[in-house]
Formats: sequence, C-alpha cells, structure tokens
Amino acid sequence: MTTADDTRSMMDDSRLAMQGTIEALDSGDGSEPVVVNLGPQHPSTHGVFRLKVTLDGEIVRDAEMRIGYLHRSMEKLAEERTYTQNIPFTDRIDYLAAMSNNLAYCLAAEELLGVEVPPRANAIRVMFAELQRVASHAMANGTFINDCGAWHTPLFHMFRDRERVLDMFEMTCGARLTTNYMRIGGVAFDLPDELLPTLEQFLADMPENIANYEALLMENEILHARARGVGVISPEMAINSSLSGPVLRATGVPWDLRKANPYSGYEDYEFDVPVGEQGDCFDRFLVRMAEVKQSLRILRQVIDNLPDGPWLADVPLHARPEPGESYARVESPRGELGFYLVSDGGPAPYRFHCRPPSLINLSALKEMSIGGTLADAIVTLGSIDIVVGEIDR
Amino acid sequence: MTTQYDATAAMEIVNASAPGAACVEDGVLYLEPALVAEAIESLRDSEESDLIFLCSLTAVDQERHFEVVYHLQSLDLNHILAIKARLTDREDPTLPSLTGVFHGAHLQEREVYDLFGITFEGHPDLRRMFLWEGFPGYPLRKDFLQMPGQIRAGLPGFPHESTENAWPVPGSVPQRPQHPNDPQPPSVLAVAEDGEESS
Repeated sequence: MTTADDTRSMMDDSRLAMQGTIEALDSGDGSEPVVVNLGPQHPSTHGVFRLKVTLDGEIVRDAEMRIGYLHRSMEKLAEERTYTQNIPFTDRIDYLAAMSNNLAYCLAAEELLGVEVPPRANAIRVMFAELQRVASHAMANGTFINDCGAWHTPLFHMFRDRERVLDMFEMTCGARLTTNYMRIGGVAFDLPDELLPTLEQFLADMPENIANYEALLMENEILHARARGVGVISPEMAINSSLSGPVLRATGVPWDLRKANPYSGYEDYEFDVPVGEQGDCFDRFLVRMAEVKQSLRILRQVIDNLPDGPWLADVPLHARPEPGESYARVESPRGELGFYLVSDGGPAPYRFHCRPPSLINLSALKEMSIGGTLADAIVTLGSIDIVVGEIDR
Repeated sequence: MTTQYDATAAMEIVNASAPGAACVEDGVLYLEPALVAEAIESLRDSEESDLIFLCSLTAVDQERHFEVVYHLQSLDLNHILAIKARLTDREDPTLPSLTGVFHGAHLQEREVYDLFGITFEGHPDLRRMFLWEGFPGYPLRKDFLQMPGQIRAGLPGFPHESTENAWPVPGSVPQRPQHPNDPQPPSVLAVAEDGEESS
C-alpha cells in the first residue's frame, strides 16, 4: 500500500524531472513567453483580482498582480465619519471575517478613548471572533480544495458548518455577513436565549465533521500531489515579507497575536498554536484545519466561563478622543489585522488605516509562484486565502 | 504581552551606525528621512532591538508635512516600536525605499505612493496600485478634493480641473460625474488607461 509520504516523494521526483525537461527545452528552441491574464473575472481568483502571469510552456516565469477593482476608498471615507459610524465599514473590509474586523477597529478606538470593556463583552467578543475563524477557515479550506480540483464537494461540506455559524450570527445581531455587531466599549446586543443551546449543538457536532474531512482529505493522494511542495516559502523569507497568520505559521514560526499580545482576555483560555513544517500549500491547509479545532476548544471554555454583567460600557455615541494615535491588531483568520487611528480631537478619525493581512500576504506570491506550473500558481493563490475586499479596501 | 520598545534605546542603536539619523520627541523615534533605510536596517540587525518584522507602513498627512509611520516588531523579544519620518516638502515628498531591508515593504510603499504621492527612491516597481496611472491627485492627502457633506474643507475640484467641473459645495444637491443632467462628465472618470491592457 502506498503511503502519503511515498506519494509525496514520487510527485516531487516527477515534478523535478518535468521542470528539468522544460528548462532543457527552454535553452535552444527560440520559443516566446506567453502572457496570460487570470482574472479579473476568473473562478480561481475568488473575487475581482487579476494575476498576470508570464508562461514559458506551462512554467510560470513571472507573476504580477493587478488590483484595485474593488477599491472603495474606505480610508478616505472613514475620515469623514464618527468613530461609531466607521464600524460598518470594517465589516466590508474583510467580508468573510467581519467580526474580527469589528473587533480590531473597536480595540483601536478603545485604546484612543481609554475605554474599559466589561468582562462579559470580552467573552462574547472572543466567542464571535472564534466562530468567525471557524467560518472563515471553512471557506478558505473549501475554496482551496476547490482550486486543487476537488470540484465543490468538500467546499459544500464545509459550507454546511459555515452556514450554522452564520445562523448564530443572524440570531444574535440580525446579519449574517456584514455583522456590525461590536461597539466601542463592548458589543451591541446581549446573547439571545437560543444562542447557547445552538452553539452547544454546534460544538457537539463539529468534531465528527472535522474527523470526516480529515478522513476524506488528509491522506488523499490527489491533494498531496497538488499541494505538497507547491508554493514553498522559507521562514526567513516569510518574516522578511511580513507574512502573517496561517501562511506564516505554516513555515514553522509560532507567531500568533492571541498568544503574543493577548487582547479581549485571550490569556485566560488554553489553546495551542499549530504550526507547519515545510511552508507549502498543504501545510497552510493543515494549519487551518488544526486552528479550527483550537477555536472549538476556546469556544468550549468561553461557554463554561461566561461571566454575567453588562455587555457594553458607557461610551458616548459621538466620542471625541484626545489627540493621539493607536495601533491595535488582532489575529484575524488571515493574519495580523491592524488598525492605525490618528485623532486630532475631532469627532472623526484624522487618519484611519487598516493593515490588511490579505494584501501583505501577497507580498511573496511572485516568489512562491515562479518556477512552478500555472496550475500550481492557482493552488498557491488559493492557499494564501485572500479576500479582495480587504486587499483593495 | 507585547511591550513598547524604548525609543531612546532605539535612537542609540541607530545613531551608532548612522550618526544623527534619529532623535526622540515625546517618546517617539523620529528618523532623518534621507537615512531611513540604513537606520531601520540597523534596528533590524541589532540583537538588542531585533525588529525583524515590518508590521505596518503607512503615512499621515499632517497638513504642514507628511509623516511616514513604520511599526516594527520583534518576534523573539516580543516588543513593538513605532518609527516616524517627517517629510516637509509637499511638492515632491521623497523617501528612500525600505524594499532592500524588508521584502514586505513592496506593496505597502506602493499603496502609500498611490494614495499619498510619496515617492520611495529605489523601489523596483513604484506604480499606482489601486488607482490607474494618470489619476489626478492623491486621494488621502487632506487637500485632495472637497466631497459632498465633508466636515473638513478641501479643494473644490480635482487639481487639474477648472472650477466649472468641480464638485458642488456642501449643502447643495450633489451632482455626480455620471449624472444624466451633467452634459460633460469630468474627463477623469472617462477612461481607465491601463484598465484591461488595451494600449
């Protein structure tokens, strides 16, 4: 019986052999490179994103991204709205992780205003940030496997879990995608009565679902062949390129802001930081799968230790912070999501900057893609897990 | 917990390798713009500061000058440092590029160039990123454009335009560029030069 390791080494050998052949052909036949535009409307790009690749046969020689199709000028718009009015913008920056974006922005605004968040609000924030991570990783892994060629079946299985998370968002704040749930000083509403039983049921069902995905995917030869050794990046290069989140952790760097700089009471919860070994696409997939399990672990602890009390601090709706600045960041499903706010004492931020992990994780896309095949470049792009709303803002 | 790295200690590290490149004002490290790349490289390579991770690179228009803000992080020592550089020349703000020190600065410097018009010397591929080449002005500058309903005053129109095509003053009915009543929409939105690479 062939094990996954055998398959992997076989595929590595054949890939090297193939590249060698093409490079040998390259030297003398006078062929010209072909430029192919992937996107802006292309199923592999997960949004309005254009990747311009220069191909030599099937090998990528250059990759250049063209972005801006979804630019909505949020940083400019936010300078004209009050701190509270800006919260809905953050939903739309990363529409697959609206809760994490709400949280990061509120943390930055709270740092400017010096607001103390009540314990129950912190617990609810952690609960929804982790639910959002489960939902976002379901989407990330599903679409990644889709890009690897498993046409929609794993994606729809994972969407089933994501759907249940979105149902919980809906019963709490009325919205599924653009939640606008967090507020400066806490959250907008307390938990509804039906949420905790639903969440208990979700936590009871998820381990079996994850075991199913693992049985389906972990030893899958095709997935190994498509993702092992593809889009490799070294830890040094990853750090130098400012990569963060699962892309950085897949290279073996255990950098997680929930551990390194705990916010909203993450220091009270026990969880591990899963890391990869080789920094390839398959490790990114594994890290996300493992993170979902850790998120479920955190959710269990949040439910067991949910404090009573107020869920929103007393903050004026049109707060005017003292002149100053703040840079607050959270570990969003895609990496380090930071908000840099500058106040001049007025009702609106003087400067509103979002540090977008989706954009900055693309810093090394060219280096990851060059030398591989075009199909590998698409898998690499899928494994980085971009959200175009966050890239363009 | 991530701590703030002491700005005075960072100043000493910088000034040891590039004398006079750094000073501390109100607890914030300010760098001499021309020496930004060397100064940050010394902070990256020093074992005491170990600032090997560029978290964020952005700019702020402080009206009299531009402020470029760097947030650098040490992963092992777990401290963060905010570094600023002041650019007083509003006509042609220029700064050395950090791409030789941090690969991750590529896209962030392009974004700052696109939205603030700050030139990073030595950047290998400094082009507009979100907007197209030829877009008039730099939107995140405070004097960019007066938008309907704006709190702060800005210019009444795009810099190259006559005031006839300008956006209306706050209070009147906003007439958008694609409004059917508008006989001649502003040329700025007519053609995206590099939109689909047709040229």
